[in-house]
Amino acid sequence: MEDIYAELLQKTAAGDQLAFKKLYEATSPKLMSLCLRLMRTEALAEDVLQEGFIKVWEKADSFSPGKGRALTWMSTVIRNKGLDKLRSLKTKAAETEIQYEGLEFSSTDLQPDNLEDLSQDLKGLMACLDQLKPDQKECILLSYYYGHTHQELADKMGRSLGTIKAWIRRGLEDIRPCLT
Amino acid sequence: MSNVNNNTNNATKRYQNPELFEQLAIEYAVGSMQGRARKRFEALMETHFYLRAVVDAYENKFASLVELLPDAQPSNQVWKNIDAHVQASTPQEEKTPWWKTNFFKQGFGMAAMAVIVSAVLLLNPMTITPEATATVYSAVLESDSHEAMAVTKIQKSDMTLSVDIMKKVNVPDNMELTLWCHPKDGGMPMKMGIISEAGKTNIKISKKEWQDMRNVGHLAISIEHKGENTAKKPTGKILLQGRLSTASL
Repeated sequence: MEDIYAELLQKTAAGDQLAFKKLYEATSPKLMSLCLRLMRTEALAEDVLQEGFIKVWEKADSFSPGKGRALTWMSTVIRNKGLDKLRSLKTKAAETEIQYEGLEFSSTDLQPDNLEDLSQDLKGLMACLDQLKPDQKECILLSYYYGHTHQELADKMGRSLGTIKAWIRRGLEDIRPCLT
Repeated sequence: MSNVNNNTNNATKRYQNPELFEQLAIEYAVGSMQGRARKRFEALMETHFYLRAVVDAYENKFASLVELLPDAQPSNQVWKNIDAHVQASTPQEEKTPWWKTNFFKQGFGMAAMAVIVSAVLLLNPMTITPEATATVYSAVLESDSHEAMAVTKIQKSDMTLSVDIMKKVNVPDNMELTLWCHPKDGGMPMKMGIISEAGKTNIKISKKEWQDMRNVGHLAISIEHKGENTAKKPTGKILLQGRLSTASL
């Protein structure tokens, strides 16, 4: 599957502002969605999206198409911005806007027609995650999409902190060979 | 104080265990490493470039999860703010440069110019460019298949170039690995020395070599016949290469 955003990102690296705008228009809805889940409120999510895209503009020359896809590179840049902000703000669960909970969107089983649109990277990752027990997979996805702490996961899933830590650690140990 | 040093050394040694740091790297990438452990790990990534490379690889794996998210439109204000930042950081179109004005076209200013340049050079011998203030350079060297194989760090603090081969490179008995620094604008590379095929190699560099780093574009490791080390440029196959970047200013 062709990386449709790589060219725009490379043009952005060369200072092409029009390419950067096109890249923003094409990718911001997905990245805003990620920010909403991490930050829990629209105002914070938009702050992180804005700071993240400014970093994309400034650091676009460090993107290397040989190492990965443009969207995954951008989402890593923006997600790390979000995690830094979460850590500095210590956003409370009480601020969560309820519509940004759950993992229904991550069920590829529900939309087999859309599978063709997914990258090989994602299909490979989901195949690895499918090897895990459902609870382990859920913990890992909640960590990724929502940046939940172990304690938040324990509260959410009604399990002890030790159980959650063990699930995640063993789950990641188990999928490592599949990922490499 | 010695306890602090011991703890740091112990932590560093722990992170040099490939099994352990791969596990920690994947936990960091997913986001399940949190709090002080995450901060500690970030501090280690600043100095251990192989940790950074492994984390990058895992972050890249998990980042494809973003494809599954439903779209959510940000407000128009977000782009307006981003665009304002971009405009502010982009140099505006230049007016006619002052040195192309009639004053200079007519030659009247050349004497004054020579005096100004001489004064600047005499009074300010430490003319500083952004690259001149760099204290660390780094490069991740990749194979033909874009697999990260080695990390290189060049530090002013101890005037050392270090190459850490993360995955052993198979080299025949009669061959050896040689590291080269290629200038940005082409031309003859600097030959830095022989590199071990596994683990870390440290090479002391001269003041001139450090100064020349600002003009280096990329690093390459070639495979060369043992004992034939008079070549001024690579004669064997380039096995690994990567772009040199400034790691800190």
